[in-house]
Amino acid sequence: MSTVATVFSAVGAANAAGRALAGRGASARTWQSVLSSGRPLDLETRLVERCLGGDETAWEDLVRAYTKRVYSICYRFTGSEAEAQDLTQDVFLRVFKTLKTFRAGEGSFTVWLTRLARNLLIDHYRRTKLERATDSIEDQLPVLEERSAVSARTDGMLAGREAGELLRLALQKLSPELRETVILRDLEELEYREIAQILNVPEGTVKSRLNRGRAELARILRKHKVLS
Amino acid sequence: MNCAELESLLCDYVDGTLKPAERERVERHLAQCAACSGLVRDASAAVSFLAQTPEVEPPKELVTRLMFQAASAAKHAGGLRSGRLAWWEPVLQPRFAMGMAMTILSFAMLGRFVNIPIRQLQPRDLNPVEIWAALDDRVHRAWERGVKYYESVRLFVEIKSQLRELAAQDEDSPAPPAGALETSGNSPLAPAGGTGAPKDTSGRKQP
Repeated sequence: MSTVATVFSAVGAANAAGRALAGRGASARTWQSVLSSGRPLDLETRLVERCLGGDETAWEDLVRAYTKRVYSICYRFTGSEAEAQDLTQDVFLRVFKTLKTFRAGEGSFTVWLTRLARNLLIDHYRRTKLERATDSIEDQLPVLEERSAVSARTDGMLAGREAGELLRLALQKLSPELRETVILRDLEELEYREIAQILNVPEGTVKSRLNRGRAELARILRKHKVLS
Repeated sequence: MNCAELESLLCDYVDGTLKPAERERVERHLAQCAACSGLVRDASAAVSFLAQTPEVEPPKELVTRLMFQAASAAKHAGGLRSGRLAWWEPVLQPRFAMGMAMTILSFAMLGRFVNIPIRQLQPRDLNPVEIWAALDDRVHRAWERGVKYYESVRLFVEIKSQLRELAAQDEDSPAPPAGALETSGNSPLAPAGGTGAPKDTSGRKQP
């Protein structure tokens, strides 16, 4: 019975955290933040139309509104700032070239953009697979664990930067399928339907991958004593 | 509820989006199944951990670089799509422009051959009957000219070869006796059958 109580309390904490995360961007209610978090379709479509009409400010708005999302996805997936910067630039170059192929009726611009970014990331992953094989991150985790274990064990909460660093290393240990699903759902807060469109798989597959990804992540974090 | 069913509802349960009745069923199963309880605990712990990680901010220099690229992309999009230039966008593609230039050049050459004045072109110049007649005329003239040239060259070569043969014959028999010319009827330039009076092609005096 105590196990069930622990589970319920953990679920409650997760829900509360989810709500806090949803409210994270609500303080800065500029239209860009509305665009990137709430993503009203007509705003996105209008912005794309303005870009295609040659409106210079619209292109700047597009960059301002979506750079954070694209960079975040690239950084979480690759775990490297330099690679994330290069890939973000590649994504936007591709957007500048192929924006006219976006069709508003076939899904939101966010989905279109995220799919484009994801495809570039997967290409990059396949290209650099061999290089990564020789440069394993296995030896990096124990070092970090020693550093973070003290604070993790004392108050049960990690400092933000350490948590970010731990997540970066832990995500690299997930397979690309699980990693991208966890990033899109738990960090980018996309809907299951949208993730299914981006990955071109059924929603059931998205949920199954998410379950496996979360379980694997918890196992890695527990192994390094970040979770109890 | 069995474990497979629970797994399909796990995401919604952790998200807190299940209906009360389903949630109750899930919790009843969790109270009995340790493996599923472990799954839920792991998923919830991972979600909690992910929620406490800070957001990632892109470096300012990256944003600046992208803004610069956006400005040039806007100029490109605006330059081609604004005003009359928009109509020329497909024509200004290098491949199409090259093809078009080659087509114009071909027509210009053909027009010159058929004698159509390209520079002062008028509707009546494009009359197909006239174009066909001019083309036919041109072709016939070219053909006739070719045939004539061939015949001339042939005649020239024939005369030249016969002269060469004659010269060679002269060298072989340097001083024919008097009256020899009377009997020699095999001169290359002698009329066929040797019936006519023999000609003195060497230009020597008759004895």
